[in-house]
Amino acid sequence: MSKGVHRFALLVACATFFLIIAGANVTSHAAGLAVPDWPLSFGKFFPQMVGNVFWEHGHRLVATTVGLLTIALAICLQLRERRSWVKRLGWLALGGVIAQGLLGGLTVKMNLPLAVSAAHATLAQLFFLTTVSLAVVTSKSWLGPSAGIREEREAAFLRTLCVLALSMILIQLVVGATLRHSATWDRPLPSGLLLAHIGGAVTVTLVLGITVLTVLARYRNETYLTRPALISIGLLTVQLALGIAAYITRLGSPNGPQPLNPMISVTVAHVACGALVFASTIVLTLRVFRILRVERTAYILAPAA
Amino acid sequence: MLTKRARLWLGLIAAVSLLSLASSCGGGGNTNTEETTTVKPVPTKDAGTISGKVSFTGAAPAPVKIDTSADPVCAKASPNLLGEEWVVKDGKLANTFVYIKDGTLADGTKISDYSEAPPSNPVTLDQNGCHYKPHVLGVVVNQNINITNSDPTNHNIHFMPKNSTGWNQSQLSGAPPMMHKLPHAEVLVPVKCDQHPWMKSYVGVMKTKLFAVSGEDGSFTISGVPPGKYTVVAWHEGGPTGTEQKKEVEIKANGSATADFSFGASAALRGQPSSLPMLPALEVPMLGKQ
Repeated sequence: MSKGVHRFALLVACATFFLIIAGANVTSHAAGLAVPDWPLSFGKFFPQMVGNVFWEHGHRLVATTVGLLTIALAICLQLRERRSWVKRLGWLALGGVIAQGLLGGLTVKMNLPLAVSAAHATLAQLFFLTTVSLAVVTSKSWLGPSAGIREEREAAFLRTLCVLALSMILIQLVVGATLRHSATWDRPLPSGLLLAHIGGAVTVTLVLGITVLTVLARYRNETYLTRPALISIGLLTVQLALGIAAYITRLGSPNGPQPLNPMISVTVAHVACGALVFASTIVLTLRVFRILRVERTAYILAPAA
Repeated sequence: MLTKRARLWLGLIAAVSLLSLASSCGGGGNTNTEETTTVKPVPTKDAGTISGKVSFTGAAPAPVKIDTSADPVCAKASPNLLGEEWVVKDGKLANTFVYIKDGTLADGTKISDYSEAPPSNPVTLDQNGCHYKPHVLGVVVNQNINITNSDPTNHNIHFMPKNSTGWNQSQLSGAPPMMHKLPHAEVLVPVKCDQHPWMKSYVGVMKTKLFAVSGEDGSFTISGVPPGKYTVVAWHEGGPTGTEQKKEVEIKANGSATADFSFGASAALRGQPSSLPMLPALEVPMLGKQ
């Protein structure tokens, strides 16, 4: 296992998080169509970065950097990694970032249709999940987990809870992305989607809460599991507060002459924190699957009398 | 028989190829289909006028200062730019779009049966000092809108009609004027600049020339109105779809009618919801009035 590969995977994950923030700024500044052509910007690689062009083209530059880093990571994994499934995950990440770039182009070419914009936002989160997963599975703690691998009958329950939490978070992200792109800053958010997103927040809190409590109750001495569990629930608490703040600031934005702070920074923070909740939950899930195996009961046939 | 890996790669390549093909489609061009209604000009015999004033009752909302610092050119050209949503001077309201929505002519025909050919002269929409001039304008269906950029910076003009395909084009500093026309009637089409999000304009698209926009003194005049009974509507921006008022007027042969409109503080507050929008039976009051 190469420390360098892990550090590079970590760098790609961090760069992807920065890209999510850059993308969220595009939406919050209403800059999605500031550059009406793609893949060039006003026919150039480097246009004048004024007004909303700064956010949109800046986002494209960060995305290009992340794309190049992902190519390098996929090649690095192909050459240095022995586990074939990790190599495949690297190529999957590359496929994801290419698809994400194409989706971004489609949003511009088609003047931001809701389905494509929401898909672009959702795939961003899934791609981030993939880069975080790569960082986790290339880490020293993955190869030699301090907790030790064990087989338990109850492992299935916790594994199921983790997968359920991840699924609920993903659904919540999809609803959130659709909500965010369904109305520009000068229009009120649609009530139906808003209610669905609030309902989703309650569901995620319940499911992730039960998951974390289960980890803390059964494995309180295993920091390998309790640390990501506590981080995820801590981030979820922050995310809930940010959600309320985002709603309040977004409620007032149609009255303003332009997108303004604090609405911009709060909504961007809400998107970023949501990504971190997703990321911390995948770390917990991967670690649970790594060290907790479902106990198999072995049956020995009695010899014939 | 293809292996699982081969099928996966094929699927990925197919998906990427489809996306690439799709990405070569679309763009900012005008793909509207034009209205195919037969031209039937409004009769001008014994035509009269509808005039009036649009006023604002109560305390007018204070103009909001716009932050133009995102673009140094805009910050220099318009350092103290104010929002134009409610332009009130001496109790009179500008930028109200007034039009004949419905009605019956003296000969029994409906005004909605008429549809005029677009005038040959275009209406100009100028991007000047990083705001649109005029803020509200009216055109006949398919009349040319002459879009100019008088600023030493780039703009991106984005028409967002509901009844037609959207149109989004950039116009660089010093670029020649662009022409655009809207093929379907609509009240009103919002226009914005994607590079400078405070820039807004509204275009009323009508089948006839029976419309006007109130000036700074609140006055408007609609000429060439044939004798008959009509519903006159005054539309002003505010809230998600604007706010409207109606008046019934009657025009006698070569006569005139007055239609005064008054918008008040409640119209200005529309679009400023004071409670969490939920099911009608359940409302949660906001912590502070917006």
